[in-house]
Amino acid sequence: MTLEWQYVAHALPFLLEGTLITVEVSLLAVALGLLVGILVVLGRQSRFKILRALIIAYISIVRGTPLFIQILIVYYALPALGLDIPRFESGVIALSLNSGAYISEMIRGGLMAIPKGQLDAARAFGMRSGLIWRRITLPQVLVLILPPLTMEFTGLLKSSALLSVIGLVELTRRAQQVIGETLRSPEVWLATAALYFIMCFALGTVTRRLEKAAAAYRL
Amino acid sequence: MPFSLSIIAEAWPTFEAGLITTAIFCSVASVLGLVLAVPIALAQFSRSWPWRVSAKVLVEIVRDTPFLVQVFVIYFVFPATGIPMSSTVAGILALTIHGAVYFSESIRGAILSVPKGQVDAARAAGMSYPLTMRRIVFPQMMGYVLPPIGNQIVGLIKDSAVLSIISVPELSMAFQNVLGTTFAAPEAFVAVAVLYWLLTSAVTLVMSRLEQLTPTHRSTQEMTSLLAKADR
Repeated sequence: MTLEWQYVAHALPFLLEGTLITVEVSLLAVALGLLVGILVVLGRQSRFKILRALIIAYISIVRGTPLFIQILIVYYALPALGLDIPRFESGVIALSLNSGAYISEMIRGGLMAIPKGQLDAARAFGMRSGLIWRRITLPQVLVLILPPLTMEFTGLLKSSALLSVIGLVELTRRAQQVIGETLRSPEVWLATAALYFIMCFALGTVTRRLEKAAAAYRL
Repeated sequence: MPFSLSIIAEAWPTFEAGLITTAIFCSVASVLGLVLAVPIALAQFSRSWPWRVSAKVLVEIVRDTPFLVQVFVIYFVFPATGIPMSSTVAGILALTIHGAVYFSESIRGAILSVPKGQVDAARAAGMSYPLTMRRIVFPQMMGYVLPPIGNQIVGLIKDSAVLSIISVPELSMAFQNVLGTTFAAPEAFVAVAVLYWLLTSAVTLVMSRLEQLTPTHRSTQEMTSLLAKADR
C-alpha cells in the first residue's frame, strides 16, 4: 500500500479544529497549573501540619502514578462522588492538577534563586510578608520560571493527547474520527504527528530564547 | 461507600498479571533502549554530517510528538507498509524508541560533562577513538548518567500505561478492567497507585545501588573545588 496524501489535504481542516482544542486545553491547564503551583508552595510554608502533609501526599501521588490513570480517575471517579463534570473541564482539571505538582517544584527552584538580602531589605523597610510576596518575590519568580513553564506547556500539548481516551475531541481524537470516515490511518497519523511536531518544535525554540533572556535577567 | 480491601484481594490475579506485563515490557524496552541510546548519542558527536543530522532528527521527532501518537504511528503505519505488527511488538518498539531517545539525551549531556581536553589528550597520546571512549569518557560519565537514566526509566514505566489503548494487557489495563467490573474507583486507584509505586521504587533502589558501584572518577576541576570546600 502506498501513502496517498490527498486524504491528508481533505483531513487537514478537521485536524486543525482539533489542534485548536489541544492548544486551548493546554493553555488553560498551564494557567491553572501555575495557580495550583503557587498555592502549593504557599501551603507548604503553612503553620498547619495537616495541610503540609496533604500537600506532600498530593505531590507524591501525582508524581508517582501515570497521568493516564489520573485522567481516568478524574473522569470516572468524580461523577461517582456526585460531581458531574463534562469532558473538557474534567480534562483541564486532570492536566492542571498534574501540572501544578510539577510547577510547584519549579517555583521552589525559582525562589531559591532570589537573593536573601532582598527579602531582608524589604522586611527592614517594614513590608509585610504578603506584600513582599506580591511585590518582590512573585514578580521575579514568574520571570525566572518562564522558560521551564513554556517547557511544561509543550509537555501539556503532548500529554493532552491522552484526553482522547475520555472522548474529548482534541487533535488525537479528531484524527481517530477522520480515520473512521476515510479509513486512511497511516496518512492521517503521520499528519497528526506532524502537527504536534510543528507546535512543539516551535515552542522548543521559544524556550531556548527565553532561557537566554532569563539568564541575562539574572545578571 | 466504605473502603474495602477484599475488593482488591479478589481482583488481585488481574492486577498481578498486569504488573508482570508492565514489568516485562519496561525491562525489555529499558535494556534495548539503553543499547540503542549509545549510538544515538555518539552519532551526534560524529564528524560526518549525515550521522549528526539523522540522529538529531530522530531525537527531535520523538521529543516533539506525544507518546500516544508515536504508539499509533508504529501500530498503524508499519502494517500499511507491509511490516506486520502485533500490539506486543508495537508496544515494546514504541517504548524502546521513546526510551532510547531520552536516554541518549542523558548520555549526550554526560559525555559533554567530561572535559574535552581529556579527549584531545588521549587522542594525542595515540589512543584510538573507541579506546578513548572506553577508558577515558565512559568511566567518568557514569556518575552523571545514572541518576537521569533512573528517572527516565521511572518515566517509561508511567508512560507504558498508555499501551493499554492498543490493548496491551498491562497494569493500567488491569486497573480499567477492575474499575469496569467492580465500580470500586477508590480501591482500584489505591491498588494501581501502590503497584506503580512498587515498580518505580524498585528501579530507584537498583539505580542507587548501581551508582554506589561505579567508581566516581572526578574531573580535576571538580576535585579542586571539592578540596577548596574541605579547606574552608
